[in-house]
Amino acid sequence: MTLSLEERWTLIDKISRETVTFGKYEHTLKDAIGELTVKPLTGIPVAIAIMYGFWSAFGSFAGTLMTDGFFVKLFDGYWLPWLQGAFPGQGSWLYSIMVDAGGLGGSEFVLSDTCFEAFGVLTSGIFVAIGVVLPAISIFYLMLALLEDVGYMPRLAVLLDTVLHRVGLHGYAIVPTILSLGCNVPGVAATRILETKKQRFIMMTLLAIFIPCGAQIGIMDKVVPALMGWILLYLIIGYFIFGYILNKVVPGKAPEFLIDVPPYRKPLMRNITKKIWGRITGFFKVALPFVMLGCAIVNVLYLLGVIQWLGDVLAPIFVGWFGVPKETAGPLVAAFLRKDLAVAQLSVINMTDYQRITAVVLVTIYFPCVATFAMMLKEGWKELIAAIGVLIIVVFTYGGLIHLIGIILGVAE
Amino acid sequence: MTVQSQSQLQSESSSTAAIYFAILGIVTTAFGLADLLVTAGGAEFVYGTAILEIPNDIFRGGWGGLVVLSAGLFYLSGAKNIGEIHQFAKVAMGSILIWIMAGSDIFAMITESIPGGEDGSWFNTLDGFLAMYAPPYAPAVLLLPFSLVVLYYIYHRD
Amino acid sequence: MGHPNVGKSVFFNRLTGANVTESNYPGTTVDYTKGWMKIEGEDVELVDVPGTFSLDPKDKAEDVAVAMLHETRDVKVISVIDASKIERGLYLALEIIEEGYPVVIALNMWDVAWDKNIRIDARKLEQILGVPVVPTTAISGEGIKELVSRLKDIQPVEVDDIIANAGGLT
Repeated sequence: MTLSLEERWTLIDKISRETVTFGKYEHTLKDAIGELTVKPLTGIPVAIAIMYGFWSAFGSFAGTLMTDGFFVKLFDGYWLPWLQGAFPGQGSWLYSIMVDAGGLGGSEFVLSDTCFEAFGVLTSGIFVAIGVVLPAISIFYLMLALLEDVGYMPRLAVLLDTVLHRVGLHGYAIVPTILSLGCNVPGVAATRILETKKQRFIMMTLLAIFIPCGAQIGIMDKVVPALMGWILLYLIIGYFIFGYILNKVVPGKAPEFLIDVPPYRKPLMRNITKKIWGRITGFFKVALPFVMLGCAIVNVLYLLGVIQWLGDVLAPIFVGWFGVPKETAGPLVAAFLRKDLAVAQLSVINMTDYQRITAVVLVTIYFPCVATFAMMLKEGWKELIAAIGVLIIVVFTYGGLIHLIGIILGVAE
Repeated sequence: MTVQSQSQLQSESSSTAAIYFAILGIVTTAFGLADLLVTAGGAEFVYGTAILEIPNDIFRGGWGGLVVLSAGLFYLSGAKNIGEIHQFAKVAMGSILIWIMAGSDIFAMITESIPGGEDGSWFNTLDGFLAMYAPPYAPAVLLLPFSLVVLYYIYHRD
Repeated sequence: MGHPNVGKSVFFNRLTGANVTESNYPGTTVDYTKGWMKIEGEDVELVDVPGTFSLDPKDKAEDVAVAMLHETRDVKVISVIDASKIERGLYLALEIIEEGYPVVIALNMWDVAWDKNIRIDARKLEQILGVPVVPTTAISGEGIKELVSRLKDIQPVEVDDIIANAGGLT
């Protein structure tokens, strides 16, 4: 037999009265500190401090120590020159694809000095994946796992609840968002904790469009460190503007959601190493092949003249509407496979600061990478098509808007 | 009666704490403001005997300055009536912020000290390595030892 | 089954040696995972499901959990309850019991409840409910062994009996 709602609660009441005794509940220091991290007045400074620590450790470890300290030296000083000499058939197709395209598009073959310029599968491909992205995601996931296991995440969610409400999402949307900063794929999966179709759709679309993944952030920090602030600012503003618009436009409800804030806990070493290990093996299995494949495809398209043709055809859009050079067509193709690779390729194109900011923002928002795409398809093809529709509109309006801002500020033509 | 005497007892031992953290709060707040002013001004600031170095870049000076300033305000707002748990939590939070800042700064020093630099060998020379840890230090690193006092009070609260 | 963030995945990993992601926030698990464990030499399949507040699903992740329960009628259910929030946990547990599933209750996060000065008489609770009740702290492994040992002889119980044991509904 089944009970009615009230009967069930009455029964529970009875049972708990018989079996549970609540002692005097004293506020412990842990509770009091927990409260401080949730109240806006004190919680926002704490959040700012935690982000500072996160970002500082990220830059110190991935940038200063691993990439600039060792990997650049290793790849540019030893690996590239060695491979340029050891790989047979300089100037041949295979050589261009695998090792060094020798100044793509130019008429003369010149050996590249750095792994960024070489474009080869074995040079740029491996350097981007191992030398830049791997250290970036390792430290990123370590920090993320720590914040997760300590229990800070739900508190951040409560803190940001009021802000996110404006975009039709409750504070819990911060969890998929932050997961997406690591990789968009688990971020999209995490949207399942949102209640209505509307919320899931808005969240998924915003993630796919505006949130750069850890790999991409890592490479941006390497190739355009001075412009990072601008790029992230554009993305964050876009996230809120379009979240707001989507919330108004998409039919459906965005109900309140109550979160349980778990107690702060000491993180378990075992759990953290397990998480990071899973991520890193996943990186080798999924990301590395895609980076190399992306390199190969872009190189082949270059050699076939497809990219130049695409650039010429799309030139009015690139130059006229977005104000970026038509050479960005190549990286945009690569961006479908791996965004980190695309940013690396952008870095060797000659551009003004404005153009570089816009190009990186465009690479981020223009299309989800293939892995995210597959994950969104799993969530429903109707939503995917709708999301792509939104995406196209966003790319054109937002890209144009950024161009307009550039013109107003006098940095773009 | 007992409750009263207990709280009196507590207030006696915590009056030193209140004074200590109030002073620490003033110093920390001053450091935070200095950080922000130096960043706004643009030129790096090194104090005479080269103990203190206030960073001037937008990240460490600006963003970081904001964190140091918040830490100072946490100390100041928690120092009064420090025996009360919620007040004490503010003081503890001030210290936690300093630890985040100092930890970030020290970690940055470590990562800079290990590699040999663009034209050098793979690893730094021992002299170069040690030179990285010589003063001047950023404000948060100087504040670190003073902020650790809070641990004493956490373990001796009862 | 149990509410979000009560430690279901921690149990699952402990029992099967699997590698399901555990985090200290609700909503970590959004899909089910199957694994195998040994009870007295016998292989038993164990399923980790997303957290749910009731058998009346509110989101996609809860949907997964409830559908899983309803699709497989001949299962035994480990009902994981956050001991510091026992009442709402019992609500879900009762729902499952009412539907006729054999249930064992794990009063998890026993340590947290203890810290909060909440004392639960597990033995009495067991007498009233008629199902095994085991205090556990999954993260450190306390109580897991007992939980497993009690798993083999659990039976469906009648809600009427529970009501009678609790002294009626009034």
